[in-house]
Amino acid sequence: MIRTQFHIFIFVILFLFGGVAFADALSKDEAIKMFTAANEDHSQAVKLIAEKKLPEANKKLEEAALQYEIILSKGFRHGQIHYNLGNTYYRLGEVGKAILNYRKAQRLMPGNAEIDANLRLAKNSIEDKEAIHETPAVIQRIFFWFFLLNQNGLAVFSVLIYVMTMLLLIALVILKYRWLKRLIIGFTVGLLIAVVSLGIKMYMERGIDHGVIIAKNCPVRYGPGEEYETKYEIHEGAECVIEQVKGQWYKVYVHVGIKQGDSQQADADKKEDKEIRRGWLHKDAVGII
Amino acid sequence: MKKLTGFVWLFTLLTIIFGGMEKAYATEIGLTVTVDKNILTLDDKLKLTLTVYGAQDVSQPTFPEIEGFRVLYGPQISAQTRIINGEVSISKGYTYMLQPVAKGKYTIGSSTLTYKGRQYTSNPINVEVIESKPSTDTKTIDLDKLVFVELHTDKDAAYVYEQVTLYFRLYFQKGLPVADIDYTAPATRNFMEEKLGDQRQYEVVREGILYSVLELRTAIFPIVSGELAITPAKVKCNLIVQEQRNRRGTPFDDFFNDSFFDDFFGSGQRKYPVERITNPVLLKIKPLPEDGKPKEFKGAVGNFNMDTSVKTSRVRIGDPITLSISVYGDGYIQTINEPVLAFNNNDDFKIYPAESTTQITNREEVIRGRKVFSKVIEPQNTELRNIPAIVFSYFNPRENQYKTITKEPIPITVDSWEQEIPIQLAHSLEKSSSSRRQVQLLTQDILPIMTGLSSLKNQGNPVYKNPFIVGGLFLPAIVLVTTFFVVRHKDRLQTDIGYARNRRAHSVANKRLTLAQSALFGDSSSMFYAYLSRGIAEYLADKFNIPAASASGGKVEELLRNIGVSDDVIAEVARCLSDFDYRRFSSDAGTINERENSLKVAAQLITKLEKQL
Repeated sequence: MIRTQFHIFIFVILFLFGGVAFADALSKDEAIKMFTAANEDHSQAVKLIAEKKLPEANKKLEEAALQYEIILSKGFRHGQIHYNLGNTYYRLGEVGKAILNYRKAQRLMPGNAEIDANLRLAKNSIEDKEAIHETPAVIQRIFFWFFLLNQNGLAVFSVLIYVMTMLLLIALVILKYRWLKRLIIGFTVGLLIAVVSLGIKMYMERGIDHGVIIAKNCPVRYGPGEEYETKYEIHEGAECVIEQVKGQWYKVYVHVGIKQGDSQQADADKKEDKEIRRGWLHKDAVGII
Repeated sequence: MKKLTGFVWLFTLLTIIFGGMEKAYATEIGLTVTVDKNILTLDDKLKLTLTVYGAQDVSQPTFPEIEGFRVLYGPQISAQTRIINGEVSISKGYTYMLQPVAKGKYTIGSSTLTYKGRQYTSNPINVEVIESKPSTDTKTIDLDKLVFVELHTDKDAAYVYEQVTLYFRLYFQKGLPVADIDYTAPATRNFMEEKLGDQRQYEVVREGILYSVLELRTAIFPIVSGELAITPAKVKCNLIVQEQRNRRGTPFDDFFNDSFFDDFFGSGQRKYPVERITNPVLLKIKPLPEDGKPKEFKGAVGNFNMDTSVKTSRVRIGDPITLSISVYGDGYIQTINEPVLAFNNNDDFKIYPAESTTQITNREEVIRGRKVFSKVIEPQNTELRNIPAIVFSYFNPRENQYKTITKEPIPITVDSWEQEIPIQLAHSLEKSSSSRRQVQLLTQDILPIMTGLSSLKNQGNPVYKNPFIVGGLFLPAIVLVTTFFVVRHKDRLQTDIGYARNRRAHSVANKRLTLAQSALFGDSSSMFYAYLSRGIAEYLADKFNIPAASASGGKVEELLRNIGVSDDVIAEVARCLSDFDYRRFSSDAGTINERENSLKVAAQLITKLEKQL
């Protein structure tokens, strides 16, 4: 009887935790090996660019991009990989994919100045300028933990505060020191703030789907299909928020200043609309952050 | 031993305290003579105070020579000890009340004090006695002397960007209650300004009258040259006057006795609003001299120093080097511009614009701070052996000359990649073939890739999805709940007798049965049955928290019935207690088998009771 129970227990453990172990099909060593090789390709490409050997540089950059993509497709994610991939795409002239990967890197490594700098540079080179601004620096300083920690960091922070709170509660139960109550109140407030921050972060990163346009020119249509007329046109690198999915189409809204009308028209005729604008985009044109 | 240690500590503490106080008291001795007014009528009285500062163990100073007055009474002696910001100041005052006997201008002569062999003398004071009914002008003069303001600078001429300290002082006669002070700062157009320190409060004697002074200081930095004016500062405040109409003879009584104030402020105390405006201040601002101006000079004025550092000294071509340049010292920190790197060849390094942070570290007397520039440069060839010298020039207004600080080149090592070819950027975007996946030559280059491997771990698995962590979250909660119940159990065992007896009843009963078992084969059957009887009776007594003697048949039956124990168990309890007591006192000891059976029955009964109680 006991032996049967033990077997069931082992089975449950394997069932529960086995998934995690098998999900990391790419080990850390393998990931590092591929990452190093990709970095080397990228560095060689930079030197080839310096030598103006552009076709060779192009090839090296494509090889580097492929290797970074393989690492990511195997489930191994890290801000550095996305950042380097962003750099590679940027050098390849694919600003949309570069911004997409910088954004992904930003989520994993928030507060990294290099990512922010390259993202700023990439966004400066796109056609549709943002009509909304980044969070003000004052807010970022006040809620620094929210802007400096990624989801995992906030989760670990919350767990640590939770453990500390529980330890203090246990100490209070055993030792009954009154001053511990104040500490517990402080830690409880901290825990509440950490959990709320984590919740907001998860909602912002997972609850709302953000996307980046990766196609050069992309018509935004009135409905989910080619048969619908083009409402306006959006360009590579612009960011959008996905509201609805229907088949191969996303319903999105954008905050960017979109150039209206026919792209062939004279610049003088183009108007900028800086309000939120909705429409339908084909899935292939959008990369989800 | 402990007493001795305590004594030593006490002695040390007292030494520190009194030693410190002695040091604090060791200030210069001073003698001042002050009056409460220096223009008065024949009806007024003059309060004359001789104050000795810095010591209290002094003899009385000599009374000054005074003509035209007679002493009404005095001296009233007062001693004062004040501790402000840790500084102790002591004083002793001798106050006399004088009555003028004739109008005219008089001089109150000097008072003299001899202390520890040294003689201290006060300054004379001029006092004017006028007719009994003073004119309106006189009143105005007195009011101006009661509260007045001053605005001035520490210098009349300065260079552009040189610090000038602007002093605003509010004087009000000591003891005069002033409230609701509303200060309007002067307009300092053509100046940049920084507040200096906290407001200061001290006392001064002006024309024989003791004033309390509130002082505000501002560092101003002229940004243009020429004759610049600082507009007047303004202050509004209220004088608080207690409602005491019997103070006759002062020039302010007519003001304060006005029915308007009575109606407005009500009785008790009245507020008399006062507004004072300073004179404007004129400053001559000189332009910075052209002679000897270094080419690196970018407008910094003050007295500065410079430190430089790099985070790494060994890099590969194109790798960034962060150069930290800290310029610090006295002067307007905001105007410090980026120091110059003296490049031999502009193509040696790729340079990014510097980012700077400014911090004011001290604002007590002068504005002192630092400005740190973080500059990223990327070496472009392996021939480079050092970062070029860094040069910073500023104008020192105290020495009337330009100064240049030059930091020596910082050695670096630049390694090559496989081939030693510098990265070159095209100066324009090449649109040769704008198809996708075509390498772009960039006018502005991105920062290089990250190659750090130490931190490379999979960030793709959210921590909150890790079952070990999620499972582990329950562990502290389980420990907490367990701890709570264990601690509560222990507490109740110590404080709740009924609970303690209930919890221990079973184990105590088992001990009794063990004793009975040991007496099973003994000669004394009464002992055996006594153990059995006491075992069951005490078990029930513990369970119901009643004295063991009360655990008799009828009482026990009633208690067991009240809590819903089955009738057969109640009957069995009654039977056992009766049977064991009978055998205990009877000569019929029974056989060994009967005893064993009795023991077994008792054990089973306690087990049954344990399940139902």
